[in-house]
Amino acid sequence: MIPGHASPTEAPATAKRLVYCARGLTKVYRTGEVEVRALAGVDLDLHEGQLVVLLGASGSGKSTLLNILGGLDIPSSGSLHYHDTELTHSDEAFLTRFRRDSVGFVFQFYNLIPSLTARENVSLITDISVNPIAPEEALALVGLQDRMDHFPSQLSGGEQQRVAIARAIAKQPEVLLCDEPTGALDVRTGVQVLSAIQRVNQELGTLTLLITHNAVLAKMADRVIHVSDGQITHIETNAHRLPVSELSW
Amino acid sequence: MRFKPLHLKLLRDLGRMKGQTLAVSLVMACGLAMMIMARSLIYSLETTRDTYYQENRFGDVFADLKRAPNFLRQRLATISDVAAVETRVIGRLTLDLPGLNEPADGVVISLPDDRPQQLNRLFLRRGRFPEPGRRGEVVVGEAFAEVHGFGPDNQISALLRGRRETLTIVGIALSPEYVFEARPGETLPDNKRFGVFWMNERELATALDLDGAFNNVVVDVAPGGDTLAVIAALDDRLANYGALGAISRRDHPSAVRLNDELAVLRTLAVAFPLVFLSIAAFMASAVLSRLVRLQREQIAQLKAFGYSARQVGAHYFQFALVIVAIGTLAGGLGGFWIGGNVVNIYHRFFRFPSLVFHPDLSAIFLAFVVSAGASFLGVYGSVRQAMRLPPAEAMRPEPPASYRPSLVERLGWSRWLTPTLRMALRNIERRPWQAFFTALGLALAAGIPIVPCAFREGIEYLLGFQWDVAQRQHVTVSLFEPASATAAASIAHLPGVLLAEPYRAVPARIRFGNHSRRLEVTGFSREATLRRVLDARERSIPLPPDGLLVSAKLAELLGAEAGDVVSLEIQEGNRPRRNAVIRGLITDYAGIFAYMDKESLHRLMREGPTVSGAYLWLDPERWLDFLKEVKNTPRIAAMMIKNTVRESFRKTTAETINLVQSLYFSFSVVVAFGVVYNSARIALSERSRDLATLRVIGFSTWEVAGVLVTELVLLTLVAIPFGLLLGSGLAAGIVATASTESVRLPLRLTSQMYATAVFIVLSAATVSFAIVSWRIRELDLVGALKAPE
Repeated sequence: MIPGHASPTEAPATAKRLVYCARGLTKVYRTGEVEVRALAGVDLDLHEGQLVVLLGASGSGKSTLLNILGGLDIPSSGSLHYHDTELTHSDEAFLTRFRRDSVGFVFQFYNLIPSLTARENVSLITDISVNPIAPEEALALVGLQDRMDHFPSQLSGGEQQRVAIARAIAKQPEVLLCDEPTGALDVRTGVQVLSAIQRVNQELGTLTLLITHNAVLAKMADRVIHVSDGQITHIETNAHRLPVSELSW
Repeated sequence: MRFKPLHLKLLRDLGRMKGQTLAVSLVMACGLAMMIMARSLIYSLETTRDTYYQENRFGDVFADLKRAPNFLRQRLATISDVAAVETRVIGRLTLDLPGLNEPADGVVISLPDDRPQQLNRLFLRRGRFPEPGRRGEVVVGEAFAEVHGFGPDNQISALLRGRRETLTIVGIALSPEYVFEARPGETLPDNKRFGVFWMNERELATALDLDGAFNNVVVDVAPGGDTLAVIAALDDRLANYGALGAISRRDHPSAVRLNDELAVLRTLAVAFPLVFLSIAAFMASAVLSRLVRLQREQIAQLKAFGYSARQVGAHYFQFALVIVAIGTLAGGLGGFWIGGNVVNIYHRFFRFPSLVFHPDLSAIFLAFVVSAGASFLGVYGSVRQAMRLPPAEAMRPEPPASYRPSLVERLGWSRWLTPTLRMALRNIERRPWQAFFTALGLALAAGIPIVPCAFREGIEYLLGFQWDVAQRQHVTVSLFEPASATAAASIAHLPGVLLAEPYRAVPARIRFGNHSRRLEVTGFSREATLRRVLDARERSIPLPPDGLLVSAKLAELLGAEAGDVVSLEIQEGNRPRRNAVIRGLITDYAGIFAYMDKESLHRLMREGPTVSGAYLWLDPERWLDFLKEVKNTPRIAAMMIKNTVRESFRKTTAETINLVQSLYFSFSVVVAFGVVYNSARIALSERSRDLATLRVIGFSTWEVAGVLVTELVLLTLVAIPFGLLLGSGLAAGIVATASTESVRLPLRLTSQMYATAVFIVLSAATVSFAIVSWRIRELDLVGALKAPE
């Protein structure tokens, strides 16, 4: 743990800066003649340093929401502000810049480049970032300082996912978006990965959004957003979040 | 008809892969077009030639002689195996043509007055034959008539054995002995300055002082007859009549020229298609192995449903068949189209009653079988691999690809590499064969343009070497008959002549061991400055005081070398036989020659200072005066104007070279484009997930495109030098194949042609890169976050 930082069980200080402000977000997909309403009017504020868990069944719209927040998709209507910037009408070049500078992604299936080692996968990002930390430091943060020169095919699933986390945080993003990061992992490995995420959130103060359909994980979050049928049904706030090691499922 | 589900799958999969299907088909089509064109042309030329030779009774044996009485014809007919004999009178004439300053020349051949032509029968295109007893009527060869726009009733002024005659054209005709209507031994026809004429025998014989005699024999050998025996018998019976030695059809100048062309076509029909087809087979295999890898699960399902290995295998082989069918169709159409155009060019060189392009349909069939076989070999491996997997295993996704540091990194140079370069190098090492064939295709693309460029450059060099360095004279004049030194003096006094160097040329058969050739032994002064003989480095070789300097090609044909003694059977005067030593070899690129010091040649001939003609250096100001006077100098038989010959050569070759060049350049573009496009599409589909991930984490489209194409850029850069080497070798091989006794193209490779080749490949590759890179915009970013394929 980095000295001087608060313990993971403490609630974050209030009155943090607003990072995202979404109002009336909708997303409609049209495939042929079928119309699917993935988001049906979402209002949401997200503040810096928070760890937010998005809970919902599959098809509930949580991934769509995450994609829109990450600049991978644009809403059909509504508005979305990132700080003072309106993301809703941004062009592709701007969104690329946004993803490059401000957002870290962690995916369910790791999405590492198989022809690059762990260290190189991370430096792929640090090479193009404005204010990165060293790849070695990022990998150490997720406990992989001894596996840096291994290729993805030589790493276990959990290790690969931790490389993905190191890759996402090495540029010191303001937002870390994780889509089912433990979905393909067994429990023990899942715990390692979630600990790494929690540690990053805690030590770097990165606003972290974590999609899951595992309700147990709600306890590690500051806020838990329940999504169903494209809408936010309710938001819980945990006064005390638990360290991942204390969770069991 | 109802499509079976697998057929529907085939059609839809092909629809999705149409770009790649087309790229592979087109490369295949290039090879097939070449093969179909060449085979169809061979077929067209051979059938047309055989029919023409047969219908117009082209002779089997030919002999020139000085003069023999007509009654000898009956005796020649009794030679065993002789089916028919035609005796003729042949002479040369000089023409004064309107609109042509320089004199033209021609051959005039007799037509029997009292009997129909038996052999080498004319094909009358227009007009009629000369009427018996009517003076001055001639039939003219079509190529010459066409160039000058002559038709029946046109009149021409000609010098026939020193007498000016006005000839009236009554017909335009073709002859099987002038399919290639040019002076004997010439590589390219000069239809403007050379023509063939036919006139009544009695009139021509009188004009040539050959009344009741003949100076040429054509013999038809009976089917199954012994041509060599006939030649020997003919030589024997004509020995006392100044015969120059009979030749068979195999050595007939026009027939030789046609056979040379067929030989070149035969090389084209095999060598080129083979290379193209192997590249196409590889491309097909790469596309289809990719498809099979992508469809592992589908294959497993099909097998789980109960489809047999054979049915599934057949299904994937059908992909190859469709590609081959498209390639064959495009190649067939392309081959016919190119062939149709080439036939039009051939028409300018080879004159047949009708030279129609006959598509060789068996070539199409062969093309289909060959390319289907090649693609089958390409596809077989991957289909077999997929079929071997048990369904349960195949339904699981493929394990992640394993990589290792590339050679460059293992050598310790990794810090010079960017991540993109590392990915590229590691990918190349993981699939070395794929990389090898991609590079081979690109090398081929880079090599192809060298060939026509080398041809063009070779011709330019040849023209410069022959006519600027070796022969510096403006004009060469030759006399009808060898004459005394006074004749040389009168030539030197023609208006505008600044320098005249007389030469002596003696027709002879040169023999060494079992090999012999007919040629002219040319003698000129050792002090001559206009005419020189050179070595390969363009340095002048002085004529030795005695003995011969011969073309290196002649020495090769005779199997002789410097220091060997050859025998010369002189075919002039009293036809002496002499021995001469080869003192050295010289470099020349057209024809085969033997040179001697003029004095030494006189001694060999035991004659005084006789001349056969002169090399002239002229005052350009008095050019027209000179030409005018030459036309009125009866003893001058022919005149070779250097610039005119060179321009005519250049013009005649230009069209062919241009056609060949545009063909080869297009092929190069198709191959470079196709190979790059295909490889890039495969890379895009194999790595779409990686690339989409890069886009998601903040790489711009261009940065991702960089990742996609770096590997191909590396392969292209590596392939190009090899390609240039390959092209140089290819050019050397083709130039060597196309080298004959009449022309040997020097192999000239310049940095400019290399630059052209590099430019073509890089441009085609760049366009390909750009098109594929454009598709990166369509990457499914959200899809990349979901489960792997």
